[in-house]
Amino acid sequence: MSSLALMRWLEGTPERYDAGMRALTLGRVAMLHAAVAEASVREPGDRVLEIGCGTGAVTQRLCARGARVTAIDQAPEMIEQAMARVRPSHAGPVTWLEQTASEIDRLPAGEFDAVVLSLCLSDMSPGERSWVLKRATERLAPGGRLIAADEVRAPAGWRRAAQVLWRIPQAAIGWLLVGSLSRPVPNLCDEIRATGLPIRSQTCWLLGSLQLVVAQRAA
Amino acid sequence: MRGGGRILDLIKEVLQTSFRLFPWPTEPGLRRIGRPDRSSPVLLTGNYDLSVRRLLRVLEGHDAWLLVAPSGGINVWCAAAGGQLTTHQVVTALKTSGVADQVDHRRVILPQLAATGVLALDVFRRTRWSLRFGPVHMRDLPAYLASQEKTDAMRRVLFPLVDRLQMAVMWAAPIMLVLGGAALWLKPDWVLPLGLLIASMSVAVFTLYDRLGTARRGGLATASVAASVAATVLAGGSGLAIGAAVLAPTLLTALLTFDYTGSTPLEGGSHFEERKWSITLDTERCEGVYRCWEVCPEACFEKREEVRKVELAHDERCIRCGACVVQCPEDALFFQDESGARIEPDVIRRYKLNLLGQRSIEAG
Repeated sequence: MSSLALMRWLEGTPERYDAGMRALTLGRVAMLHAAVAEASVREPGDRVLEIGCGTGAVTQRLCARGARVTAIDQAPEMIEQAMARVRPSHAGPVTWLEQTASEIDRLPAGEFDAVVLSLCLSDMSPGERSWVLKRATERLAPGGRLIAADEVRAPAGWRRAAQVLWRIPQAAIGWLLVGSLSRPVPNLCDEIRATGLPIRSQTCWLLGSLQLVVAQRAA
Repeated sequence: MRGGGRILDLIKEVLQTSFRLFPWPTEPGLRRIGRPDRSSPVLLTGNYDLSVRRLLRVLEGHDAWLLVAPSGGINVWCAAAGGQLTTHQVVTALKTSGVADQVDHRRVILPQLAATGVLALDVFRRTRWSLRFGPVHMRDLPAYLASQEKTDAMRRVLFPLVDRLQMAVMWAAPIMLVLGGAALWLKPDWVLPLGLLIASMSVAVFTLYDRLGTARRGGLATASVAASVAATVLAGGSGLAIGAAVLAPTLLTALLTFDYTGSTPLEGGSHFEERKWSITLDTERCEGVYRCWEVCPEACFEKREEVRKVELAHDERCIRCGACVVQCPEDALFFQDESGARIEPDVIRRYKLNLLGQRSIEAG
């Protein structure tokens, strides 16, 4: 078990997680968080479900825009960190739930103006992803939007090559700092289309390797 | 299996056995073993490729569903203790794999060593699947599936020679790769003696160390230094080589015997604990559920069916893995030291691995 111990020591704390994410995205993660929050809240009072809130970087921005947030994460230490972060800037009420994305089917269907999946889909297996996207879509109220942001496979050619080269050290750094071996989502847009939701917009950063996709349920 | 597939499988087996210190992820999800039907057993494991491939070999000729849960590419024992295979991953696998559409029952069998991380009661509350802890070793699965009964032998972790040698290889291979690589670059004629030293010390530590008393452990370390110095002198080594011959076995001893987690597969002690924590049973609270008996890898517990209680009959064997504490639905088990200070069950559930003495820090 010794190898594991070493790994657990290196990973795990929310501070190291945040630092790791900043390093891995060359600081682009802050832009992504801001864009996610902007796309998620149209007006104060919107009901937003955030799946995988992590250390609360997006939760904080959602609250600042006046959203009523339901934030779920499976890691209690992440929720603790997120609660501490959100409290000072608190604008709207937050419901914190310690559970996995695979338990969102216990939340009411058709109740949310937005469902946010920020940097959590790439941690899931393809099977889990399609299950979660389908259930996430079912949580949306008429006219509600699905906002997914994640690391995706860059467009073929030199950008894909650059991503592969960049990911080799990143896989090592990521494993040490964040403790997970995430893989880029091969085709985020197709996976979202498979739920039946039409895509409204997409934005890319880092040579197309970070992508924000907004899809919307018919009103 | 075709010849090419077999060779690939063998290469994978050798690579993964040598470098099992590292994650080897395989795709999570539901797999078929043989031709399972709606009443076939459902077995769950982590997405550690080495285990999954070995499991498929062990169960050849059986019909079962194999549910591979996302455990970060880490083996069940480590992932359960380290937080990569917890209630959450089991819930995720049960709910998103579609297994519920394939079988009529709601029973899933987990490896016993998942018990430090996966809370059976919590899984049931969240999914209505009832969870049983099967044998420790997959080689016992065919007998377990046939009899539906877990014998005492299936419960115990005995750490036989073959397991010890696998541990030795697991440590020796990456150390050899790093040190051997450095030597190849700086001092090519050191590669062979260094390789021999690493190999022999890994085998010695993992086969002998825990069977020796404290004084003789020091003897083992001293003997390894003496042997490496003697060999160096005999080979006509210079002052620098003799220095390395003293330093290398000393560092290797430290690396190989260091207790990172609060307990090692070799022993249940801990270098971090100032106080000695003992497993303690509050008999009043015990309701005779026998989960502790089911999951203890050292068979510390005995059933007292006539009073519906469990007895902590062999607490001297306890390696403090915490599996019994984690599983007890009545919170009747905890760790306590001589002064009466306690580590409560919730702390154990949170810090399954006593990493760098984390449990004691939490206990204050």
